[in-house]
Amino acid sequence: MNSDGLILVVEDSEEDTEAIQRALSRSHPSLHVEFAPRSHAVLDRLLDPAAPTPDLVLLDLNMPGVNGLTLLTNLRANAACASLTVVVFTSSTSSAEEDACYAAGADSYIYKPVNFELFQTVLRGAVDFWMTHRADGRRAAG
Amino acid sequence: MVDDTWSSALHRLWQAASRAEEVSALADDVYAPLLATPGVHLVVGTRWEDPQILRYMRALRAGSDSPVITATARSVPEAAVREPGDEPVVTRIPVAGLDDAGWPEAELLRRTPEATFVVCTFRLDHRGWASLGVGVDASADVAAVEGRLAQAVDVIVACHTGIIQRGREARRGADDALLAEASLQMDSSLDVEETLRRVARIAVPAVADGALVHLLRSEGPEFVSATHVAVRQQRALEEIGRENLWLAALLARRSEDEDTVFLSGPELDGSPFADTAEATEATEATEADGDGDGARPVAAEADRHSTVISISTLRARGRVVGSITFVYQRPEARLPGSAFLRSLATRAALSIDNALLYELRRHAVLSLQEHLLPSQLPVTDQWDLSASYEVGDPMLDVGGDFYDAVPRPDGSIALLIGDVCGRGAEAAALTGLARHTLRTLLEQGTDPGTALSRLNRALRQERASRFLTAVVATLAPQADGTALLTTCSAGHPSPLVLRSDGTVSEVLTGGLLLGVLDDVSYESHEERIGPDDTVVLFTDGLTESREAGGAFFESILPVRLAALRGFDAAHIAESLTQQAKAYRASGQDDIALLVARWTGVPPGADLLPHPLQLVKAAR
Repeated sequence: MNSDGLILVVEDSEEDTEAIQRALSRSHPSLHVEFAPRSHAVLDRLLDPAAPTPDLVLLDLNMPGVNGLTLLTNLRANAACASLTVVVFTSSTSSAEEDACYAAGADSYIYKPVNFELFQTVLRGAVDFWMTHRADGRRAAG
Repeated sequence: MVDDTWSSALHRLWQAASRAEEVSALADDVYAPLLATPGVHLVVGTRWEDPQILRYMRALRAGSDSPVITATARSVPEAAVREPGDEPVVTRIPVAGLDDAGWPEAELLRRTPEATFVVCTFRLDHRGWASLGVGVDASADVAAVEGRLAQAVDVIVACHTGIIQRGREARRGADDALLAEASLQMDSSLDVEETLRRVARIAVPAVADGALVHLLRSEGPEFVSATHVAVRQQRALEEIGRENLWLAALLARRSEDEDTVFLSGPELDGSPFADTAEATEATEATEADGDGDGARPVAAEADRHSTVISISTLRARGRVVGSITFVYQRPEARLPGSAFLRSLATRAALSIDNALLYELRRHAVLSLQEHLLPSQLPVTDQWDLSASYEVGDPMLDVGGDFYDAVPRPDGSIALLIGDVCGRGAEAAALTGLARHTLRTLLEQGTDPGTALSRLNRALRQERASRFLTAVVATLAPQADGTALLTTCSAGHPSPLVLRSDGTVSEVLTGGLLLGVLDDVSYESHEERIGPDDTVVLFTDGLTESREAGGAFFESILPVRLAALRGFDAAHIAESLTQQAKAYRASGQDDIALLVARWTGVPPGADLLPHPLQLVKAAR
């Protein structure tokens, strides 16, 4: 529904990557979606002056190596990434984890359900919101 | 040959239509083949809403690979007459005769005023229509062109209908999945706040962008939880939920049987959800008046779609438990239906009600449990007494452990501890009977063995359907500074004695558990304890606490107790309880402990029982 925009999806699972790709191609066919399967390479990608800055970063919390929370903390510690909109998604419903994500600087914390149709709806809700409000989000964060 | 090409193109179009997620994805497969038709030099399509708003125009001209797209919405009142009925309509109009006022395509066709515009108008859904037309010159077989247009439109309409249908099915599937997931999540917690958090977390952002939950208390709605897809707005929502007078008044006004209500536009005037300008002014005005509630308007900060809110009553088992307010900052087409919200609210209400009932019940269980135990233990200079009671799993019913300490006429003191098999009201009744029977008998000076036999008889006479275990010990101060420990056990774990030198020994007693046979007698075991020796009585919740590897706390209890040498009774009771809790990976039995340390003060130094003081028992 929104015209152009770039989403960077940090997700290591091939299955989830496919599900996100499928969901976003249905709900937001005109969005460009870039996948980063390895969390340790994300910071370099975001700091690369030749690469476009994403409008939104979707971050899976549960990844091997540098996990989502550590990556988020590292991103926020870097001035160039401090104003990125970061949506964290997780299959956990732990309130402690939610609090930790907010403390680390997540803009959104969304629950990733197993059911694909529901996942698509949740993802669409979050992406719609942030693509519509991207300017406001940054102004407020700044 | 020409027909074969068109047939192939039509085949490709059908294939594309079956995959398309939106009808505009078909454009390339429609425009190019039509443009390849002999005599066609321009293909132009338009899309309309309500019925004169032009949303979109796309044109592909001969000799060009790139379409020209105009996607700026504008009103074309004169085009309203072009709106088709249910069936597609194909017309042919000389370009020179096109009226610019109702035909935005005219400006593209003007280069060839001698041409004819062959156009098919068709309905896409109840809100919109479209047109697909071609500019043809005199060489074209117009009838054949009309046929192709009609065929292409058939595919487009079928594709659009399929997309809408699939969208409806997907939405229904997502709604069903959401209700199922919500039930699952909410049912997995019996904690009220956790349940409320889960209600909101499931719904945001799938159903709405924000959610507020209020519980109905006797004094009115009480804010309990807020969630928003954007964390920053979540803080603002929390403030609104807690302090906003407009929302508080709105919720207080709602009648019990009111259905879900949606509010938008002017209905939100004066609220923190009002659209930007008004909301800002309203907030500034109320703050200037000095009675503003400080909540920042959510809509004012980030609003591209008008804010809509819905309020659903949370009703469970015939009573209202609260309300859930959803905040939407999304297109109207993506608002949930009332029936869906009702369904979600019903599930949420049941979960919340279950959690509330559980909380009440848990409170009742803990309260009853406390009344089954002594509120105070006697304290004299001779005895350092303390007890600990740890409820294993408050989700379960009242446990059956009991203990007491009773001063006796001869200056001794009696300790008792027991465990009724099972939980619940019946176990609680037996617990009360057992403790008070033993207490009364021991208080009158009855010896431990007789006391247990008489309790056994009482249980048999009452036809009690449960068994119980107990141990009774009397401690009689002796002239030499020791105390005589007389112990009788009815199938209960043996007490331990922690000597002042740190050694730990088991008081070896044995006897049949209570309530099984009619006539049972109990043998007494006697031994001396010295100053600073400590007697520890406990229930099997302590010894049967089990670690992940399968070992019982019983195996390390003597060592752990020995390490507590020199500590007072309260510390020993509390420490052992906490150690067992930390140790156990399984086993959720209650843990009761009664600890008595003999101070060594000889008889006569304290005139028992009259100077007895009572202190609150440790629990």
